[in-house]
Amino acid sequence: MNKTISLVAALMMVSSSVAAQSFDDAFNAQRAMYGKGHSFTFEGQTYTTDHPEEVAAAVEANAENAAKLLAAAKDQHAQVVALDFDWTLTKKLLKASAKALAGGDFRKSMDISAQAQYHARMGMAQYHQSQKEWVMAVPE
Amino acid sequence: MKIIKSMLVGASLALVASVSHAASSGNTLATVDPEADRLALQSYFQKRFPKVAVSDYVNGIYALDAPSREQWQEIEEFPPYEFDIEEGEELFNTAFANGKSYADCFANGGEGIRQNFPRWDEAQGQVVTLELAINQCRESNGEKALGWKKGKIAKISAYMASTSRDNVFDVQIPNDAAKAAYLDGKQSFYARRGQLNMSCASCHVAGANILIRADLPGPTLGHVTHFPVFRSKWGELGTLQRRYGGCQKNVRGTPQKTQGEKFRNLEFFQTYMSNGLVVNGPGARK
Repeated sequence: MNKTISLVAALMMVSSSVAAQSFDDAFNAQRAMYGKGHSFTFEGQTYTTDHPEEVAAAVEANAENAAKLLAAAKDQHAQVVALDFDWTLTKKLLKASAKALAGGDFRKSMDISAQAQYHARMGMAQYHQSQKEWVMAVPE
Repeated sequence: MKIIKSMLVGASLALVASVSHAASSGNTLATVDPEADRLALQSYFQKRFPKVAVSDYVNGIYALDAPSREQWQEIEEFPPYEFDIEEGEELFNTAFANGKSYADCFANGGEGIRQNFPRWDEAQGQVVTLELAINQCRESNGEKALGWKKGKIAKISAYMASTSRDNVFDVQIPNDAAKAAYLDGKQSFYARRGQLNMSCASCHVAGANILIRADLPGPTLGHVTHFPVFRSKWGELGTLQRRYGGCQKNVRGTPQKTQGEKFRNLEFFQTYMSNGLVVNGPGARK
């Protein structure tokens, strides 16, 4: 009886350690609930719910910064295209950002570039994750 | 001490379980076993839908959902692809400028051969789908290649499928290069992509017969047997790879190249999964 109980306890420990919340899970949950610009605590440290691309875009809105961000977004997009894992919306975002830049709306361009770069980064992360995890969906 | 021992046993069991899953899952050239994959997929659907005969999966979602089947049977009373088959036959029999025809490019004059496609072509070192073979035939006879997704190529393919009805799919994987193509197709089928983070399997294995908005996705078993299809949504005939591109767009991913290596390998894997089922194309779908 004792053996059975402790065996179950051991298995529960294994499964609960696997299920422990990662930083990414915590970040995603906070982001989903509060959007960008929110602070939260994870394992004693304080973080914000901003994506790195949004942090990069939170600088003075001018032509130079807008052009730099658009170039970075295009570069990241080219990388995910090379992996054949790009998302449909990203091209449209890059186009919209370029249009805003050409029209002198630097803030708009920078915000859209941040979104496009995020999409491209997520596409790359998805590629690497799916390379590892696809096999888990195969019926045995 | 006893508790520690039991904990170790428990942890070992969990570890062994995860390792044996990885070892038997066939994700490398050394471990992939197409026949085991095919049987496992059949078994998966048989467990989920025990009242459905394996042979009925050629009818897609209509094998699983009775109301949809009723509507489909009414559509099939006057098949919307009927004229396409006739046009396909005419196109198939029209001689090229050099006097030769499609019949000269295929075994058995192109009649009753759908079940052997896609096939591994050793000389080309790649998977050749029926549509690719049709265009290769054209180009080798000095004709321009046709568009891949609809129109003439779909009609010719539909005619060739119609001459093959009830023939049993028998896709062969003759060597390691073919097996590598199969494995690549298998990975494509199960890998999530697009902004919605979904794979083919999300809808057509786990999600088969489960509503996505108002639609019921069909099971992947038997998926390829009825292509090309006349889709009500398209209002015309289209090829299997046209549908692949549409699916990838639906999950907000940029579609891969029609008749490119990735899609041909995907078709190779998917058709192998339907080995043993009969050709019933062309078909009508929603």
